[in-house]
Amino acid sequence: MRLELREITKQFPGVLANDRISISADRGKVLGLLGENGAGKTTLMNILSGLYRPDSGEILIDGEPRLFSDPADAITAGIGMVHQHFMLVPVFDVVESVALGAEPVTGLVHTFDRATARKRVVELSAQYGLHVDPDAKIEDLPVGVRQRVEILKALYRKSDILVLDEPSAVLTPGETEELFAIIRGLAAGGTTVIFITHKLNEVLEVADTITVLRRGRVAGTVLPDETSREELANLMVGRDVELTVTRSPAKPAGVVLELVDLNVRDDRDSMAVRGVNLEVRAGEIVAVAGVQGNGQTELVEAITGLRQVDSGSLRIGGQVVEHASPRRVSDLGVAHIPEDRSRDGLIGSMTVEENYILDSYHRDPYSNGGRLDWKVIGEKAEVGVREFDIRTPSIETHVGALSGGNQQKVIVAREFSRPVQLVIAAQPTRGLDVGSIEYIHRRIIEQRDAGAAILIVSTELDEVLALGDRVAVMFAGQIVGVLSSDQATKEAVGMLMGGVH
Amino acid sequence: MRKRLRPLLVPALAVLSAFIVGSLFLLFTDIKHIGMLTTDPVGAFTGALGNIIDAYGALIVGAFGDPKRFSTALQSGDIHDWTIAFRPMSETLVAATPLMFTGLAIAVSFRSGVFNIGGDGQFVLGALGATVVALMFRGMPAPITLVAALAGGIVFGAVWGFIPGFLKARTGAHEVITTIMLNYVALQIVQLALRNDFLRQSTSSQPISKVLDFVRVPQLIPFLGLRLHWGFIVALLVAALVSWFLFKTTKGFELRSAGLNLTAARYAGMSAGGSIILAMVVSGALAGLGGAFQVMGSVTQMSNDVNSGYGWTAIALALLGGTRPGGVVAAALLFGALNNGGHGMQVASGVPLDLLVFIQALVIMFVAAPDLVRKIYRLRQPAIESGAPAAEGAPA
Amino acid sequence: MTASAAPANVAPVALSEGHRRAQRAARIRGVIFAALGVMGLSFASGTMSHDVTFRFWLQQQGGDAWEFHAMAGVIWIIAALITGIGGILQLWRGASVSWRRWMALAMPFWIAAIIGTLLAGKPAVLTNLFAGSLEYAFPIAMGAFAAMICERSGMLNIAIEGKFLLGACVASIAASVTGLVIVGPIVAALVGVGVGWLMTWLAIRHRVDQIIVGTVVNFGALGVTNFMYLRVLQLNTNLNTPPTVEAIKIPLLSDIPVLGPILFSGTPYLYLALVTMVVLTYMLFRTRWGLRLRASGEYPQAAGTVGVDVIKIRYRAMMLAGALAGFAGSYLSLHSAGSFQINMSAGKGFIAIAAMIFGGWNPIGAFGAALVFGFSDATQTLLSSLGVDVPPQILTSVPYLVTIVVVAGLVGRVRGPAMAGQPYEQS
Repeated sequence: MRLELREITKQFPGVLANDRISISADRGKVLGLLGENGAGKTTLMNILSGLYRPDSGEILIDGEPRLFSDPADAITAGIGMVHQHFMLVPVFDVVESVALGAEPVTGLVHTFDRATARKRVVELSAQYGLHVDPDAKIEDLPVGVRQRVEILKALYRKSDILVLDEPSAVLTPGETEELFAIIRGLAAGGTTVIFITHKLNEVLEVADTITVLRRGRVAGTVLPDETSREELANLMVGRDVELTVTRSPAKPAGVVLELVDLNVRDDRDSMAVRGVNLEVRAGEIVAVAGVQGNGQTELVEAITGLRQVDSGSLRIGGQVVEHASPRRVSDLGVAHIPEDRSRDGLIGSMTVEENYILDSYHRDPYSNGGRLDWKVIGEKAEVGVREFDIRTPSIETHVGALSGGNQQKVIVAREFSRPVQLVIAAQPTRGLDVGSIEYIHRRIIEQRDAGAAILIVSTELDEVLALGDRVAVMFAGQIVGVLSSDQATKEAVGMLMGGVH
Repeated sequence: MRKRLRPLLVPALAVLSAFIVGSLFLLFTDIKHIGMLTTDPVGAFTGALGNIIDAYGALIVGAFGDPKRFSTALQSGDIHDWTIAFRPMSETLVAATPLMFTGLAIAVSFRSGVFNIGGDGQFVLGALGATVVALMFRGMPAPITLVAALAGGIVFGAVWGFIPGFLKARTGAHEVITTIMLNYVALQIVQLALRNDFLRQSTSSQPISKVLDFVRVPQLIPFLGLRLHWGFIVALLVAALVSWFLFKTTKGFELRSAGLNLTAARYAGMSAGGSIILAMVVSGALAGLGGAFQVMGSVTQMSNDVNSGYGWTAIALALLGGTRPGGVVAAALLFGALNNGGHGMQVASGVPLDLLVFIQALVIMFVAAPDLVRKIYRLRQPAIESGAPAAEGAPA
Repeated sequence: MTASAAPANVAPVALSEGHRRAQRAARIRGVIFAALGVMGLSFASGTMSHDVTFRFWLQQQGGDAWEFHAMAGVIWIIAALITGIGGILQLWRGASVSWRRWMALAMPFWIAAIIGTLLAGKPAVLTNLFAGSLEYAFPIAMGAFAAMICERSGMLNIAIEGKFLLGACVASIAASVTGLVIVGPIVAALVGVGVGWLMTWLAIRHRVDQIIVGTVVNFGALGVTNFMYLRVLQLNTNLNTPPTVEAIKIPLLSDIPVLGPILFSGTPYLYLALVTMVVLTYMLFRTRWGLRLRASGEYPQAAGTVGVDVIKIRYRAMMLAGALAGFAGSYLSLHSAGSFQINMSAGKGFIAIAAMIFGGWNPIGAFGAALVFGFSDATQTLLSSLGVDVPPQILTSVPYLVTIVVVAGLVGRVRGPAMAGQPYEQS
C-alpha cells in the first residue's frame, strides 16, 4: 500500500517536534527516514502508530485519509511497528508474544487458540526466512532474534506497511546484514517499509528513497543513486559533519588506567567484556568506538566500580581497583560522565546546587564532619555555573527544568570541580546541540592538556575521530584494534566497528 | 504572605473535604432521623443536622477545652479548676505525641524512597523493649532506668526496621510485604512475651504487663497534675533533629538522593543498600522511641492496646505534612486533636470515635490526589509542583 | 529489557551466574533438608513408645470412626527418611531435583509426627482438623485469588483486608434486612466492585500511589465498619442477625468414607473456592483475557502498542478482584460468626496476600498455601480443645514468617508480575 503523510505538525510544550512534515512511500519500496537525535523521527513514528495525534496534517493510505485515535486503529490500517525498545513480554513465548492483541480464539470464554497461532508463526517464519523457534521464551532469546519476533508480530497482523525505528542500534554487523536481507525480501513481496535511522550508510544501502529530517522539518528527499554521503550528512546536520575542535598533539606521560585481560558479565550473565587490554596515559585521550551494545557500557561500569569484575586486573594510578566501590574509584580522582544523564548522572527534582555536589558532598569543603556547609556549597555552585556557562535561573532551580545541554554542563562542571587524574566520559554529547557539543569537547581537551588521562566511549564516529589521540575499537566485547590518530580514518575505524579485522 | 500560605491550601482543603464527607456519612447513618423522614421531614433534617453540629462541637470542646471551664478557673483561681480547664488540651498533646514519632518515622522512610508501613510493629516492639529493659533495671535510680528503657525502645524498634531494610537491600524483598508481615509477627511476639511471668501482671487475667510506675516519664507541668509529659517536648526536639539530619548532614543528603533517584545516587558513589538500611533503621528507631514514651509516659502498662494504629495513621501524617518534619508535627497535632476530641464527641453525642478513622482515611486520599482536590474547588494548577517529593514507593 | 547483548556467535564461556545461584540454593536446601532428617531421627528415638491414635469419621460427625494407630517414633522415622533422602538428592544432583515435590511428600508425615507427639497419647479426631483447614482456608484463598488478578494486571492491591471487612458488614446488613441469605454475598460482591473501581480511579486517573490507595481503603473500611457497628448495628440488632450460610452435603460424594465428611460436607463457599480455582487457572493461562491480563502486568507498553487497552484491563481486573474479596468477606459474617463483629477479618486479608506470594501468583499454588495457613489455624483449635499447651502465637506467626522467607527468595525465588504496582500512562 502507498503511505503518505501530509503536512504533519505536532507541538509539545516548548518544542515544535514535527513542523509540516510530508513524506510518502510507495508499495514495495523502502523509504529511509534519516535524522539526528531530536530531529522528530520518533514523534513522527508515534503519530504513525496511533500513540500521538497530530495537531494538524493528514495520514493517507492508498490516497485515503485515515485518522488513528489509538494503536489499534493504526494496526487495523495495516501499519506494523518495530520499536527500538522491543515491545515483547519477557516471560511470554514467541507464539504468545506474536499473537498478543490479535489472538485467534475459540469457544465461549475466548480460549486462546494456540495451535492456530503457532501454525501461522511457523509459516510466516519459514516464508520470510526469519528462523524463529515458536516455543522459545523471549527472555532466553538474543537481541537479534527478538527483533525478528517483532517483525513477525507485524507480519502476523498482515501489515502492509512496516516501520522500523533505529533497528540496527542493538544489532551486530552480521545481524544487521541479515536484517537488510529480510527487509529486501519483504519489499519484494509488496510490503512498504519505512526505515528510521541516523546512520548514513544504512539508508544508502537499503532505501529506495531517502527523506532527511532536521529539527522537526523535512530537509530534503533524495534518491540513493543520486546522492552522496556528504550530501546526506549536510542535509542531516545542516553543516559539515566533521567536528572541528582544534587541539594540539598529545603529550602522553605515565600510565593512569591499566586494564589487563579484563572480563565482565552483563545483567543477563553472559560475558560482555572479553579479555580487554588497554592503557590510558596521562595527557592523552583514548576514544573507544563501537556500535552500541558491544560491551562498552559494561566496560565503563566495571572501571567506575559499578559492576563486578569477573576476572582480570584493573588499575587506576597504580592502585588495584578490581573490587573497589564507586566511591573509592571516585576518591582516586576519577571523573565519570555517565551514559544516560537524566537517569544516572542527575537527580531531576533536586536543585542545581545539590546536583553540583552529588558525588563530592562528603568531601572538603562541602562537608564539615558530616555536616553540610550550604554557604560554601552555594558559593562553589555559583562559581561552577559561571565558569561552565550553565544557563539556569538560579542555583536553586530543579535541574530537571534545564535543557539537555545545560544538564550535561552541570555534570561536567561537577566532575571537573575537583582534581582528576582520569576522566571517563560515556556518550558525553548524546542528544546535544552543536554549541554544547563543541563546548564540552573543548572542556575535555582542557582536562587532557592539564594532565588528566581521558577515556571517551562513544558510538558517534565523528566524536571519536575528533577527540581521540588513540582510537580503540570494541566489537563483541573485545578490543579489536587500537589506532593512532593519524591511522584512524573513518574507513579504518568503521571497518573495525563492523567486525572486519 | 499569600505565597507562603499557598502550599497549605491543598492540605487544608483535604481536611475540610474529609470532614464534609464524614458529615454526610453521619447523616446517612442517623437511623432515628431517617426513620422520621416520612412523618416529619423538616424535623428529621434539622434534627440530623443538629446532631452533626453537636458532634463536631463536642469534638472541638473535647480537643481544646470548654471556655466555660476556663472562666470558672479564672474566677476561682483554684489549681484544680485550672487542671480541669486545661485537661483537654493536655490530652490532645498526649495523643499527638506518639503520632509525632511515628509520623516522623514514616516521613524519613518516604524521603528515602522506602515504603515503611511497619510503623505499627516497630512501635509496639519499641514499647515492649522499653518495658523489658525497665523491668530489668528495676531498683536502679529512676533516671538511669528511664534512659535505659528509652534506649531499649529505640533498639527494639531499630531492629524491627533493620530486618525489612536489610532484606530489601540484600535480596530485593519488597518492603511493603515484609513490613506488613512483621507487623503481625510483632503483635504475636508481644502476646508471647506477655505470657512470661517476668513481664506479666500476675493479678490480671488479661495479657498485660506489670505497672511501670517506677519509670514514669516526668510530667511537663507537675503542679497541674496533667498527663502531658516530657515525651511531647522530646518529640518536638526529635522533629528538629530529623529536619537537621535530612537537610544539613551528608547522611541525610544520601537518603534524600537515594529516595529521588537510586541509580544516580549509586553512580555518585553512595551505597544504595546502605541508604535503604539506614533509612529503615532510623525509621524503626523513631517509631520505637514513640512506643517507649507511650508505655512509660501516657499509659503505664504494656499490652497490645498500647498501639492504636499509630503506624498506619503515620502514613496519613507523612503525606499531609509533605514529608517535612515541621509539616508532620503540625499534622500530628491536628490528628491528636481529632483523636482526643473524638473521645469527647463519643461521650457527649454518642457518635463513635471510629468516625475519625474514616475521616483520616479520607484525608490521606485527598492529600494523595491533589488534582482531585483542585478540581473539586476549581483551583488553578500550580506552575511547578513545589518542594517535597510525593511519597513514591521505592522501586520493587 | 537489557540493551546490551552477547553476540550470538560466541558460546557462553562459563556457567552463568543464575545457574550458579540456583546450584548454591540447592546446596543450602540440601543441607537444611538433611539436617531436618537428622532432627527427625533424633525425635524418633525419644518417641518410639508414644502411642498415636488418629480417628476419622466414616460418614458423619459423631458416627462410626476409622482409626489410625501407630507409634510416634515410626512416623518420625518415615518423615525423617523422606526429608533426608530429598536432602541428599539435592546435595548430589543439585538444582535439577524438584524439591517442592519432596517437601510436599514429607509434609504430611511431619505434621502427623508433630501433632502425634504433642498429643502425648491422647486420641484425636482429625476429620474436623481437615474440614476446619478447608473452612479457614476459604477467605484466604479467595482473597489470594483477588490479589492475584490485580497483580497479574499490574495493580498492587493491599486492600483485601478492607474489602473483607466491608463485605462482611454489608453482607450481614443486606441479609438481615431482606431475610434472604443469598442477598448478603451478592451485595458484598457489588460493594467490592465499587471499591475496586474507586481504587483504580484514584490510582490511574489521579495517579495516587497504589500502596497509598490500598492504605486508604484498609483504613477507611476499618473506620466505616467500626462506626457502623457501634452507631447502627449495636443499637439495631435486627440489622445484624442475618440468616446464615449452612453446610451442604453433596449427594453421593459426601457418602464416601473418610473423605466425604472432610471434602463434601462443607459450605457452598468451599465449593465455590474450588470452582474459582479451576476456572481462574484456565482463564489466566488459556484464554485471551488471561494473556492480555498477564501482558498488562508484565510489560504494559508491549500490550499497549498492539492495541490492547491496558487501562480498561486494569479497571476490570480490580473490579473483579473487588467482587471476589467482597464476596469472601460475606463468609466471615454469614458463616463463621453468624453476625458482623468489629474488625472480624483480623489480618486475613494480609494472609491472603501472603498466600498469593507463597503460591507463586498461581491459583492452585495459592489455594495450597491457603490450605497450609488454614491448617495452622485448625491445628491450633484442635490442640487448644484437647488442652495441649502450645503458645498459639508461634503457630499464628508461621504464615507471616514463611511469606518473609519467600519474598526474600531465601529458598528458591518465586517471581511475581514484573510491573505490579507501576503506573502505566496511556497517551
